[in-house]
Amino acid sequence: MRVLLVEDDPILGSAVRDQVAADGHGVDWAKRLADAGEFVRLAHYDLILLDLMLPDGRGLDFLRGRRQAGDTTAVIILTARDQVSDRIAGLNAGADDYLVKPFDLAELSARLSAVARRYGGNPNPLLQIGKLTLDLAARSIVRDGRSISLTAREWALFDAFIQRPTMLLSKAQLEERLYTFDSEVESNTIEVYVGRLRKKLGAEVIETVRGMGYRLGAATLAGTGKSPP
Amino acid sequence: MRIAWPPKGSLQRRLALALTGGVMALWLLATVAAGLLLRHEIDEVFDSALQEVVQRVLPLAYTEILAREADAGPDPQQVASVGAHREYITYIVRDAEGRSLLQSHDANLSQFPPNPAHGFSDGPSSRLYTEVAVSGTLIVTAAERPGHRQKAVRDAIKVLAWPLILLLPLGIAGTWVLVAVTLRPVVAFRHEIEARSSGHLAPVSVTHLPSEIAPVAEAVNALMARVRRALDAERSFTANSAHELRTPVAAALAQTQRLRAELPEGPALARTVEIESALKRLARLSEKLLQLARAEGASLIGEAPQDLVPALRLVLDDLSIEGAVEVALPEAGRFVSTLDMDAFAILARNLIENAVKHGDASQPVRVALTDDGRFSVVSPGPVLEPELIASMTQRFVRGATTADGVGLGLSIVMAIMRGVGGEIAFASPASGQEDGLEVTVELPAAKLTAG
Repeated sequence: MRVLLVEDDPILGSAVRDQVAADGHGVDWAKRLADAGEFVRLAHYDLILLDLMLPDGRGLDFLRGRRQAGDTTAVIILTARDQVSDRIAGLNAGADDYLVKPFDLAELSARLSAVARRYGGNPNPLLQIGKLTLDLAARSIVRDGRSISLTAREWALFDAFIQRPTMLLSKAQLEERLYTFDSEVESNTIEVYVGRLRKKLGAEVIETVRGMGYRLGAATLAGTGKSPP
Repeated sequence: MRIAWPPKGSLQRRLALALTGGVMALWLLATVAAGLLLRHEIDEVFDSALQEVVQRVLPLAYTEILAREADAGPDPQQVASVGAHREYITYIVRDAEGRSLLQSHDANLSQFPPNPAHGFSDGPSSRLYTEVAVSGTLIVTAAERPGHRQKAVRDAIKVLAWPLILLLPLGIAGTWVLVAVTLRPVVAFRHEIEARSSGHLAPVSVTHLPSEIAPVAEAVNALMARVRRALDAERSFTANSAHELRTPVAAALAQTQRLRAELPEGPALARTVEIESALKRLARLSEKLLQLARAEGASLIGEAPQDLVPALRLVLDDLSIEGAVEVALPEAGRFVSTLDMDAFAILARNLIENAVKHGDASQPVRVALTDDGRFSVVSPGPVLEPELIASMTQRFVRGATTADGVGLGLSIVMAIMRGVGGEIAFASPASGQEDGLEVTVELPAAKLTAG
């Protein structure tokens, strides 16, 4: 996924950014609301991590503004304001979840995935795709009784396909999900990662639509179930 | 209108008693004075009448007796009267030897002593007046009917006193009502202030208060404004310190966790894990201290009544203890209280956390909020000694547990209940079962108002 982090504290922000990046997501980090506004105009984000008290305004106002503009991006609020009334206000303003500082980074990762799964329409972390049995929460894949391990990057790419199983994803879309403004995208990166996924999961898992992009293989999809029997 | 018997020392009672009592005492005094004056006047009038009778009778008796001596009859004679009637003044005419020569028809001889003093004197039963003429040979004595004078004074005083007796209850009732009506704004003012509990510091209305009380209300408002400013400052300080404290702790914890994730196995990793657990303890302690500061200092009463059920749901959600807790919510689906939602959330969170932490993990904790605001948390476990329960409520006492915690949870709950004047009760065994510990708090319900 591509994630926008809005946080003004440099020490906390860098740790959160590293954590989210280590999970394989592409992260952009805005330290002010003005930057955040600029970022959402330039790129499509799957999720926003939003601090509430920023040097140039209130995160809640930013969130309300996004929602009023019709933006449906998932939002998790990160805040030092722990009061229940603040949290109810945050949820009422359109947030999907709420994390009170100090939080555990593992919990942040878990909530991030949970919110993303809900947005993908399947809150169940257990998934059966063809011959693959997936546990999205544990990031484990089992094929023919054999467990397969993916790197964070590989997961992030595979996750893009799982979230929209029938959709055709262009190379540009996939790049946007994996990379941020800061990182250089090499021209053949997506091809390299798709190649690795095919090698680990089976060649039929991802099919190429010439000149258009990639999608989950039709043979794989035929056996798709929401959860294992 | 409320005309109940006001308590001792109440202004209404004092005023009513003083006003009625004062008027009655003055009236009584005036009646006594009038009676004394009347008595004096009546004495003068009656004495003068006695004297007049004797002086009238004397020449008549003299003529009569002279005329009679010609007929020479020694028997005393009564003056021929027009008709028998009740006489208020009787008289007797006697000679020097005390023989009665003439008397009025209703005269009672026992009233007349044999040798009365000349002039006014008091006889055995009545007032007398005696005049002597013809060198002591003719003695005329007039007597008033016994008790007549006293009766006249009594009757006059009675007439004066009657209205007093009639007016006494009327006066008391009138004063009472008047005082009650006059004091109504003051009573309303009192009720308004009484209805405030700590934290509700909106100014009271001054408009209908009498000019004597209005300055008091204004002074109260000024005081409340000062307290409110102080509380606001404290509240914003607590909120700010929460923010100021949480962000660096969060940053340190997050960096440590990243470090742990990036370090290879080894002593450095072990050390990082220790730093992480110390930071987590610091985070918990600072959170509890902030909660305690909030419970003791800041406003526990919401600006407007709030439904507490969403707050409870959020707390339960937050603790992510599904399966470990059985929840019973009010039948109405909501419980509207004057208690601040955040204060309730802190209270509920601490009680539930405690129950989960210290209870027998094999059984669920039971959490219940009833329609009338009884919030109870039952933690499963053995029956606890009363001394142990008493020691639990002290700060930094953690009970016989290996669970992590700083021992402030119950202190926070108790500070909140103290702040809103509510009760907290401990029962072990829990009601309706043979073991466990039940902690119950009575939450203040919002008064039902129109709309």
